[in-house]
Amino acid sequence: MSRSNVGRIAVVVAIVGLVVGAAIAPTVWDRATEPDGTVAVIELHSTITGDAATEVVDDLREARQNDTIEAVVLDINSPGGSAAASEQLYLAVKRTQQEMPVVTSVTGLAASGSYYMTAPADHIYVTPASTVGSVGVRAVVPSGGTPNGEIVTGPDKGSTATNAEVRQRVEALRRAFVGTVVRERSESLELTAAELSYAKVYSGARGVELGLADSIGGLDTAIQDAADRAELTDYDIVRMESPQPSLVSQLGLRADGQPATSASAETQATFDYQGVDTVQYLMLHGSLAAPETEVSANESR
Amino acid sequence: MNLGKGLGIVGVFVLAVLLVVGATTGVAVLTDTGTETTARPDAPTFENDTLLPEAVADTGAVATAETDTEKTVVVDLSHGNDVSRAEMQPLVDALVRGGHDVMFFTGGSSSIGYSSSSGSSPLNKSLRDADAFVVANPGTAYSGSEVNGIEAFADAGGRVLLLADTPTSGSSSSVPSIVPSIGSGSSVSASGQPTNVAGRFGITFGSGYLYDMTENANNFQYIYGSTAGESRLGTDAEQTVFRAAVPIVTSAESETLLTGDNVRHSSTRKNGTYAVAVRNGNVTAVGDTWFLSPEAATLADNEHLVGNVATFLTDGDKAAGAPQASGSSSSSDVTFPGSGITTPIATPTNETSDTNTTGTPTNETSTATPA
Repeated sequence: MSRSNVGRIAVVVAIVGLVVGAAIAPTVWDRATEPDGTVAVIELHSTITGDAATEVVDDLREARQNDTIEAVVLDINSPGGSAAASEQLYLAVKRTQQEMPVVTSVTGLAASGSYYMTAPADHIYVTPASTVGSVGVRAVVPSGGTPNGEIVTGPDKGSTATNAEVRQRVEALRRAFVGTVVRERSESLELTAAELSYAKVYSGARGVELGLADSIGGLDTAIQDAADRAELTDYDIVRMESPQPSLVSQLGLRADGQPATSASAETQATFDYQGVDTVQYLMLHGSLAAPETEVSANESR
Repeated sequence: MNLGKGLGIVGVFVLAVLLVVGATTGVAVLTDTGTETTARPDAPTFENDTLLPEAVADTGAVATAETDTEKTVVVDLSHGNDVSRAEMQPLVDALVRGGHDVMFFTGGSSSIGYSSSSGSSPLNKSLRDADAFVVANPGTAYSGSEVNGIEAFADAGGRVLLLADTPTSGSSSSVPSIVPSIGSGSSVSASGQPTNVAGRFGITFGSGYLYDMTENANNFQYIYGSTAGESRLGTDAEQTVFRAAVPIVTSAESETLLTGDNVRHSSTRKNGTYAVAVRNGNVTAVGDTWFLSPEAATLADNEHLVGNVATFLTDGDKAAGAPQASGSSSSSDVTFPGSGITTPIATPTNETSDTNTTGTPTNETSTATPA
């Protein structure tokens, strides 16, 4: 083998080495400068329907299972909604909080069902004008019994329950809700269970004073706090957006094309199964215009 | 020879496969930490023994109002009263079983101003044959003549029962959270309180309702009432249940029969003991109508209260003929502006033990409501 051949091979090897090195370099660079982890910002900016809750529960599960996500910030602006969906959200947030820091930023309204899912957070940030509270339950009972021409197998098949039973169920939901909030906020809460049951809403500033929230701060403060709690100095932020309400309900229409005029039609369109009027148990803040028959476990609405 | 070689090759192949699969399994088992570490969220409030409320005892039956003589009880429905026979069926049953007559007075209205030849209003005429008179949630006010007539009726020994709920306005958006959806068949959908009738006897129905956030019948508006002192109305009715009861204020001569203890008033949010049932002579006032309904009449000790109310209505001793027509000493009927206009009066429907339901239509709304 001649000397020139050796030199040629060396040059070729060097070029190949450079090419390989250049290909690997970005990856090494990325590795070296990679953030320590990710803070997931999970939005809830709608009333809590079953579908909205499912998406947020999925987001929270993703946060738990994705190894890069080290902390969660909840961005809450919702008047609440279905009682069952609100409980699902509470359990999902609670479970997430047991695994990683969860910090809430109330960017508007955390009332009723949306306060339920806010309660287990490690820290709750509010602004003076944001709203927290409304710890209460309501049941909207459809009027009328079994219509003519319909045959049912029992007296409660059509109406689903007697009023006394609906009251009992609302009371059970109230006990679970109020008891949970008292337990989750036990370190700072200044209200008794009976006072909380009035279901008032409070301004953010008053909420901090009463212990329903922890401090004044915006969304960025909440993200920084979540990162600090997860001991991240260098982190990414990923936003998991709130489910958008369907076009049909945005137009104020029911799925069958009828305009949603009465409160019952609206709640039916928002929370219920299409075409079936059932007793609806809601953790919802705000007035429903002219309810048919309503059993509420709280005073203020 | 060739066969042995072939088997050897297959054996090496199988060994190689097993080695790879085994190594993969081992590494997978060692590195698998599970998808979720905690099995379930820590939410003990959901599994608390006290989560499910106890139902209020719903046993017993309303006793029959048995007295020596057969009495006539008139229930006023002529003032747009926001109450129906169905809503006081247990009371009607207790009276009818005791052989008494229950009449729902639907005819004539004070605003129309009917004047008979004697100058008396149709209500006062009906009262002459009655022994007891029930007023519940009138939608319109009683005229001066009618109030005078009712006072004369009570003075003559007639029993008067005044019932009122929290006033509602017909189409308001600020309805209380529990509203019985009745009155659709009537021209007056608002319910009110018999203010001027009660005022004549030194009784005032309050505004708002009473509530209790802690000791209640599974809802803050469903409060427990307890007996105050020794009264026949409170006999055996140690714990009664009222819905959104109205507090009653009375003058000194009235006797407080039932109270809500340690409850709050919705208007003032003040804690205290409020009278829910009072009696002044022959007049008893109760700040609730719901306790008479089929849903409520046997809750807790309500059956005793309903029975005692039926007894109160029938154990009086009224002088016949009162209230007298105008010109007499006890009554001073005035002539209405519409005097002389003859308006057809619906005959009061008569309900006796024999004819529980009459064919005569009444003004009462017959819509069955899950009140």
